[in-house]
Amino acid sequence: MPEPQERHYNINKLNLLFAVASITLLGCLVWMFQNDFDREWKGYQARFRDLEIEKTRVAYDLETHRVEAQADYQTLESDLKTAQINFQAQCSKFDDVKKEISAKETEHQILDQRYRVTKAELDAAKFDYEDAIGKGKSDVSKVQKHYELLQGQIGELKKFLDANQEILTAKQGIVDDCASQLKALERKEHEFSRQSDVLLRKLKKIDPNEMDFTNQIGGLVRDLPVIDFANPKYKIEQVVLKDITEDVNYMQVPRVDRCTTCHLGIANPEYKDASQPFTTHPNLELFLAKDSAHPLEEFGCTVCHGGRGRGTDFVSAVHTPSSEEQKKEWEAKYHWHEIHHWEQPMLAKPFVQAGCFKCHSDASTIKGAEKLNLGLKLIEKSGCYACHLIDKYKDWPKPGPDLTHLAAKTTKQWAYHWIEDPKSFRHNTWMPSFFNQSNTSDEHSKIRGEQEIHAIVQYLFSQSEPFALDKIPQVGNPPNPLGNPEKGKEIVSSVGCFACHQIEPQPSDTKRDRQSLLREQGPNLIGLGSKTSVEWVYQWLKDPNRYHPETKMPNLRLSDQEAADAAAFLVQDNNLSFNKNPVPPVDEKIVDEITKGFLSKIMTQSQVSAKLAQMPLEEKLSFSGQKLIAQYGCYSCHNIKGFENYKPIGTELTEEGSKAADRLDFGFIDIEHSKQEWFAQKLKDPRIFDHSKIKAPDEKLRMPNFQFKDEEIEAIVTAILGFVKDKPASTILPQQTPEHRYVMEGEAIIRQFNCQGCHIIEGEGGAIRPEVAKWLQDYQGRSETEANAMVASFSPPNLAGEGKKVQAQWLFGFLHQPTTIRPWLKTRMPTYHFNANHLNALVKYFSALDKEEFPFADQVEPQASGEEYEEGKKLFSQDYFSCGSCHIIGEKMPSGTPEKWAPDFALAFKRLKPEWIKQWIKNPQALSPGTKMPTFFDPESFDAAGPEDVLNGDENLQIKALRDYILTLSNNQSAPKPAPAPASAAPQPPATSQ
Amino acid sequence: MQTLKHFINVVSSPKIMFTAIIAVFFIIFPPSEGLWKVNKWLKIDRLWTKRGGILIFSSLLIFFLFGVSDHNFQKIVGKPDNVPIVGLLFLTVFFLWFSLKQARQNDLRIAQGLKPHEADDAKEKVLVWPDLVYIEFICLIFCAALLIAWSIFLKAPIEEPANPTVSPNPSKAPWYFLGLQEMLVYFDPWIAGVLFPTVIIVGMMCIPYLDDNKNGNGYFSFYERKTAISIFLFFWLVLWVFLIVTGTFLRGPNWNFFGPFEYWDPHKLEALTNVNLSELVYMIFLKRSLPHNIFLRELWGFLSLFCYFGLLPLILAKTALKGVYQKLGNLRYSIFIILLLMSVGLPLKMFLRWTFNIKYIVAIPEFFFNI
Repeated sequence: MPEPQERHYNINKLNLLFAVASITLLGCLVWMFQNDFDREWKGYQARFRDLEIEKTRVAYDLETHRVEAQADYQTLESDLKTAQINFQAQCSKFDDVKKEISAKETEHQILDQRYRVTKAELDAAKFDYEDAIGKGKSDVSKVQKHYELLQGQIGELKKFLDANQEILTAKQGIVDDCASQLKALERKEHEFSRQSDVLLRKLKKIDPNEMDFTNQIGGLVRDLPVIDFANPKYKIEQVVLKDITEDVNYMQVPRVDRCTTCHLGIANPEYKDASQPFTTHPNLELFLAKDSAHPLEEFGCTVCHGGRGRGTDFVSAVHTPSSEEQKKEWEAKYHWHEIHHWEQPMLAKPFVQAGCFKCHSDASTIKGAEKLNLGLKLIEKSGCYACHLIDKYKDWPKPGPDLTHLAAKTTKQWAYHWIEDPKSFRHNTWMPSFFNQSNTSDEHSKIRGEQEIHAIVQYLFSQSEPFALDKIPQVGNPPNPLGNPEKGKEIVSSVGCFACHQIEPQPSDTKRDRQSLLREQGPNLIGLGSKTSVEWVYQWLKDPNRYHPETKMPNLRLSDQEAADAAAFLVQDNNLSFNKNPVPPVDEKIVDEITKGFLSKIMTQSQVSAKLAQMPLEEKLSFSGQKLIAQYGCYSCHNIKGFENYKPIGTELTEEGSKAADRLDFGFIDIEHSKQEWFAQKLKDPRIFDHSKIKAPDEKLRMPNFQFKDEEIEAIVTAILGFVKDKPASTILPQQTPEHRYVMEGEAIIRQFNCQGCHIIEGEGGAIRPEVAKWLQDYQGRSETEANAMVASFSPPNLAGEGKKVQAQWLFGFLHQPTTIRPWLKTRMPTYHFNANHLNALVKYFSALDKEEFPFADQVEPQASGEEYEEGKKLFSQDYFSCGSCHIIGEKMPSGTPEKWAPDFALAFKRLKPEWIKQWIKNPQALSPGTKMPTFFDPESFDAAGPEDVLNGDENLQIKALRDYILTLSNNQSAPKPAPAPASAAPQPPATSQ
Repeated sequence: MQTLKHFINVVSSPKIMFTAIIAVFFIIFPPSEGLWKVNKWLKIDRLWTKRGGILIFSSLLIFFLFGVSDHNFQKIVGKPDNVPIVGLLFLTVFFLWFSLKQARQNDLRIAQGLKPHEADDAKEKVLVWPDLVYIEFICLIFCAALLIAWSIFLKAPIEEPANPTVSPNPSKAPWYFLGLQEMLVYFDPWIAGVLFPTVIIVGMMCIPYLDDNKNGNGYFSFYERKTAISIFLFFWLVLWVFLIVTGTFLRGPNWNFFGPFEYWDPHKLEALTNVNLSELVYMIFLKRSLPHNIFLRELWGFLSLFCYFGLLPLILAKTALKGVYQKLGNLRYSIFIILLLMSVGLPLKMFLRWTFNIKYIVAIPEFFFNI
């Protein structure tokens, strides 16, 4: 040691400092361990364990009480006691035998061991022997002798063993017989208490009070720091999903969801009432359960919900609050803050259904995702896809009417008012408002807006092509055009207009849902008298495709008289105040300003002045009109001459849900910087982000205002949030079979043409039914209850099972050119302008939906004579089933009232599948619950159901005979021939699966 | 309070701040006898005493405490990436003060004809163990404890997965390169990114050969090496530390400047109105179009460069730097003056940018040659 005086520093001081430093470091290390060890999720797991113990204990107690309360169990218990006493008393005499058995067993074990050793030696000797023979060794005989000796020994030993075993079995039998009664009773008791035993075992595992001592010690030790690497109680639970990856830009990595580390009861139905994070998933039938469509092990959580699956605490899992209050609460409770580096935050609860879309984007309706479905429907109806490209709606037609022949339909004055404020004419129109919005509400913009509308109207009318309206036929003397509004009203309410249209003069407070939207397929038919002429309506009703070749409005095949009546009724309603509104005069100064603005983009100032000077006012208007239509994108929804090749004006929305929030311009609007807030704000007021910005008129935001209600906005935002980039691997997507594709394609067409306005398809639709009931009351004099009871008979049919029921070839022809099947129905299946693709897709759709072979179907050639024919005829007759009393047979109408009528047998041969007819006769309620077709063969006692005197009472033969007889009816009658199908429109065989 | 914040925001813009710093820098750290006297007369050297230290630190502390009450300031200073820079700020100031305090004391002793403090140390013998190793070990333990505590408080600042198509805004270099990145604002990438770093390294290698002043060897002294220390501190404090601090705290989205209390609005726009020297001469002064001939067009630029690097050294050798020239001789003077002029070029270019909106002195984008 150096001398103290040679030291520069005081060593004691340094020692003290060293001690302080070491203790500080130690403290820091302990702190580090503690910090690393003390995880939020462990607290949740501990709480969950308490909950689990409590639940198991309650269940165990309940189960024990339940078992003990049973009389059977009590008798069993007493029986068991007696049996035990008996056993003690009777079987004690066998104690000596037991001793013998025990001795014998020892002997047996020793023998067995010797046997096994000798056997091993024998196997080795066998090999030596074979080796010696094979290689021709000199000592073969010696080896052979050894082998044979061992073989002999083995034989001896085996003999001893077998003999011993026999003695043992015999002695054991004596003892077992004595105890057999007791054993049986014990087994019975075990049956009773199986459930409670399971619970008790579980309790012993988790509840420290029930554990044995070693387990208790283990339970304490296994979660200690460092030791906890082995098998801790509290550990991170995770699901690794190889097929559902996360995009980290350079590569795809498997998703790892650790949500179940805290959400421990999520897949367990017993935790329905537990608080978060332990509560059960609200829909286990669809999600998480092993037999559901989305098992937890295959789908995890974040693929639907978003968020950071690898996060194991509240904040790093990137939860998203669903409201401002919840945000505040979380901030206080969990120190929640947004982790904006995570690109897919959890979907807030109101938008959770957005997660469905990424896999089910081809479906028209996603079962169970009502809000998302409503959002998609609203996007379709409002025509968002026309301006904003959305992949799902790539081939959809333009949502607005054709404006090519606008001048034939309405007046400039009406068009002016309509563009200015469409909702003032029709409160629930889909046409949005472009003018007088939040960024154009200043005085100058208002004045400019008026002149812009003039310009647009001028362009539209100047480009309108001539269109000759059919003259309404004249009758009488002096000749008057046909048309009786009273009759028209009845026609409109009966033929089926109300499947797609309404007549609702005043806005109602009811929320729009998918069912009500079916009746907003076409416009609300109010104020038509102010909008157009009776001739135009007549022409439109007679042949909608002449005016607008791509219209979805079908042809109802109205006669001249019917069309004239309906037209007369429809134009009766006038919106007088709308037309009386004065149209502001054209102000050339403003028009000049507008024209100048557009001209300046392609010309120099002097050229602009020169050009402006020589343009007449009309031309200026028309020129600006064209530019304005391009600016506002009117052509995206409407066919307008001159805009055939223009591209849509809006941002593409196909992957909008994946867009980072910082790529959206929030301008100077103080809202939360999240996608959903931005979308909602945009839909609420599309021009709001222009607030306090200085922009030239043509730079301003131009998205029109649809005046959506709050819940509609939420639904649309849900859909947009669902339009995401990441598509999961095909292995977890719904199976892409040809049948699946047919169903998806068919659903899209059904959606476009609003088939569900009339029909119930896949359990949805039939929107016209309340209107049919109303018609029954108003025109058929039925009471409300009667009407409601009869409404199904007078409404277009429910198409459940249509693929099983009708032949593909017939369906194809029928859809192309419908014929009357149910003459008592006033609603008509209209003639649509389906093209060959539509027809094929629909036919395949119905086949695929019912899992029917397509296009092949078995054909039956019924014999019109013979015993079976006669028997069938008998069954058909009034003596037995009296089929003719309800069913139409060709021209012959049944005797009863129309509400009891049933479809024409003359069509059966061409229309129905023979197998289906059999099933239908056998049990109509199974195919169409609630049908009025009587059940002749009671399914409860089928073998005794049919009449005994026909075909020896064999029900199956009876049904076949009746079916064949019915089919002959069509052969006898000349069934209406379906019209020739459009060229190249024969049904095609399904594409071979890939 | 708002007015004060606004005032600080305005004042901290590089234009004003940089000018102000340069204006006072050479009085605080005087390179010449005349400025030394000014410094003494203003009693600025009192800063390098205990009281001065307390004053410096308490004002720095008060500024930070005042700043942290502001949301925007707190956000940018508290970012885990930026915390070390705050530390750097305090450490730099501390060591600057500490060394200058010792230098001042020695200067006073030398002025009285005494030897510097360190002369006493030379007589004392100190053992490596325990006097050196022990205290190093204690420091090491404290540092380890500090790092552990730091890592518990501030989690690693992990961001979103790297995406080649989305660059972060602002894209910032590692903090130690922010000085270079700041230079990119004023120079062509070739110069700021390649030439200058090379010159910095070469220049530092040259220092021992250029500065043969043996004074101050082994002890702290300002007065005896005032030119060298002043130049060094200018480059270190102003052109390196100040630029790093600016780059870290005051450069926001789109590399726009933001005051310490300003919200980093990614939509903020700054007018880009810079012109090349050729445009300034031909279009603004001479009111005519740019000549087509590249050489003719850039003639003025080349001329000014020639004056700066060719004539200026000659003139300086005869006038202001006469003594230096005589001491160093031709070769060493040339190297010294070129290095000096290049380094001074940076602040000079900054001023040209701020006063005349000069983008480049010589701009030949045809050959990617811009100065």
